[in-house]
This record gives sequence, C-alpha cells and structure tokens, in this order.
Amino acid sequence: MTVAPARSLGPTESAALAELLLTLADDEFILGFWDSEWTGIAPILEEDVAMSSISQDEIGHARAWYELLAQLTADDADRIAFGRAPDEYRHAALLNHARGDWAHTVARRLLYETADAVRLESLTGSSYAPVAELAAKMRREETYHLLHWNAWLRQLTAAGGEARDRLVAALALRWSDAQSIFAPLAGEGILRAGGILPEAMAALQKRWHERLGQWLSAAGLSLPGPATDPPQPSTAGRTGRTPDFAWLHSEFTLVARSEEGATW
Amino acid sequence: MADHGLPLDRVWEVFRQEAQGDPMVHGGSVRAPDAELATHYAREFFGRRQESERLWVIPRDAILELDDPDLLKPPFDRSFKRPGGYVLKHKLEAARGRAGTPPARGSDEGVE
Repeated sequence: MTVAPARSLGPTESAALAELLLTLADDEFILGFWDSEWTGIAPILEEDVAMSSISQDEIGHARAWYELLAQLTADDADRIAFGRAPDEYRHAALLNHARGDWAHTVARRLLYETADAVRLESLTGSSYAPVAELAAKMRREETYHLLHWNAWLRQLTAAGGEARDRLVAALALRWSDAQSIFAPLAGEGILRAGGILPEAMAALQKRWHERLGQWLSAAGLSLPGPATDPPQPSTAGRTGRTPDFAWLHSEFTLVARSEEGATW
Repeated sequence: MADHGLPLDRVWEVFRQEAQGDPMVHGGSVRAPDAELATHYAREFFGRRQESERLWVIPRDAILELDDPDLLKPPFDRSFKRPGGYVLKHKLEAARGRAGTPPARGSDEGVE
C-alpha cells in the first residue's frame, strides 16, 4: 500500500507511535476474528453475509495498520499479526471475550464502533500524514459499520422482551471493559507533544460517552454506567488477557504456526 | 432460524447498475425487516466487491405485476406491430444529415 511520505521521527517518538499503531491494529484484528465466527450461523442468511463482510473489512483495516507499523519498525506485517505470544497483543479488554450470543455481539459492536469512530475522527488530524490518511480512508467504511449496528440496536430494542433485555444486559456487562479502548498509552505525552495524537485519550473517551449516549437514548436506552464519573481505564486494560483470547489466538495462529517462515 | 418476532420475511428486489450509463438490471432479492437493513444487505450482496455503480432497492409488494396472457399474449396475429421489414437506415441518415450530426459509431446496418 502507498502512503503519504512521513515526516522523520526521533527514536522515542517512533516507539510511541509504534505503540499506538499496535493498539489500533490489534483492536481491528481481534474484533474481525471474533465476529468472523458468525459466518454460517448468523440470525438470517443476509446478516451472515453482512457480518462476514464487515469482519473482513476489520481485518483489512488491521492489515493497513500492521503494514504501517512494519514500515516504521522494519518488521513484517504478517509476523506482527501472527507471530506474537498472546501476552504481546495490545487490543482493548473489551475484545478479550468470546462472541457470545447475538445481543452480546451487537452490544460489543455498538460500544466498539462508536468508540472507534471518535478515535478515527480525531486521528484524521494527526501530524503524522500516513496516520491521518489511513484514518480518513477507514472512516468512510466505518461509517457504514456504524449505521449497521445502529440499525440492529433499533431492531433489538423495538422488538422488546428478551431481545431488548439481552442487549441491555450485554451493554452493562461490557461497559467497564469498553473503557479500555481509551486506556492511556505509555507514550501518550510524546504523541500529544508532536501532534501525532491530536487529543488525549481521556478527551476522546468523554466525547465517546456523549455520542454513545445520544445513540442509546434515541433507542430508549441510556448509558450503561454513569456518564459524569466514568470508569477510569488503566493501562492494564490493554495488557490483561483471558482464556477466551488464548483460545482465539491458538485458532488464528494455527495456519501460520503450521510452517513457520513460509511465504503465503 | 429462531423465531424472535421480527418480520424477517419482507422481500426487497435489488436492481444494479454495473457502470455509469448502463441500464439498471435486476440482480436478485434480499430479505430484511426494514428499509435500512434492506439497503445494507443489498450493498453486501451486490456491491461488496465494488461491482456496482448504483443500486435500487424496492419492496417487492410495491411492484405492480402484469402477467395476464390476454394482455401480453393476445391470440390474434400481431406481427404487424413488430418493426421487422421497416428499414430505418435511410431515414436515419437523412435525419442526421438535416441535423448535421455525424453518423453514429459502428454501423447502422442492423437497424431496421
């Protein structure tokens, strides 16, 4: 992929950017893998195709971020994607859990896509051109994802009964882990100083609560947790791993592990 | 498929245009509970590989169907309503000459 020429970075700035890119890539990669598990078993055939396609979109976005990271660190995108131990992944804690039922999947998607939209929107203003450019490109596709999950939010709430109850319960269950999308980065100060990260993670988190609150209230729901005193994400939000994730990791590295170093 | 109370059986017909200027051609149908999801599914079925320039998504129950053989296949000879035997070529040339437009690309030979 061709990206805009990047301005030169010092070693500390480069390391901080690498951390940011890894979080962006891993989020999309892991979510894409979890939801690809709906292929063949989604509620209706049409949704089966849509979910599989949307999951492929996320893997495509992950690939773009991994490639940018590989350029920066003189590494290989496939090696980064498939060649790490489970504890080396940096996705948000929200993505540590198995796909669950359909309501759980819709709830997680809503939490994630609304947060990702806020994050991408902000990154289009990044001083590092390749990041700004990729974020702008992804936003075009993510806008459709957002509409799709909002349509499902309306379906499940309008249906009422068990559908609505399950959705509400899943949103509440994952609310705390969802905050980890905006967990502060170790190199956040450096990224902010150089304008690579136009806004602090905490500011993005606040904007996300406002947006999500509007979406939920349009469907007759409210934020699963207090908006004024949101759960504080910790850096551990992107390092803690679960047995669910260990299983997924063994699945998605299966082929790569079958012949290490092979060219695919 | 589980019955979860949604009207899943609403059918939408999808027409697609492959390139700018092409006619809209029926691509197939999707099931969806509402118009918005119908457009999402149409996009996934007929546009996710960037194969469509434009889609039309129409609820099947909005389509007026005409299949009465008395209207479409009347029992009398209607061959005189077909354009066969009526050669347009020279009339077209004359009309183009009057309008000052160059002959159309390709050949008019087949135009009757």
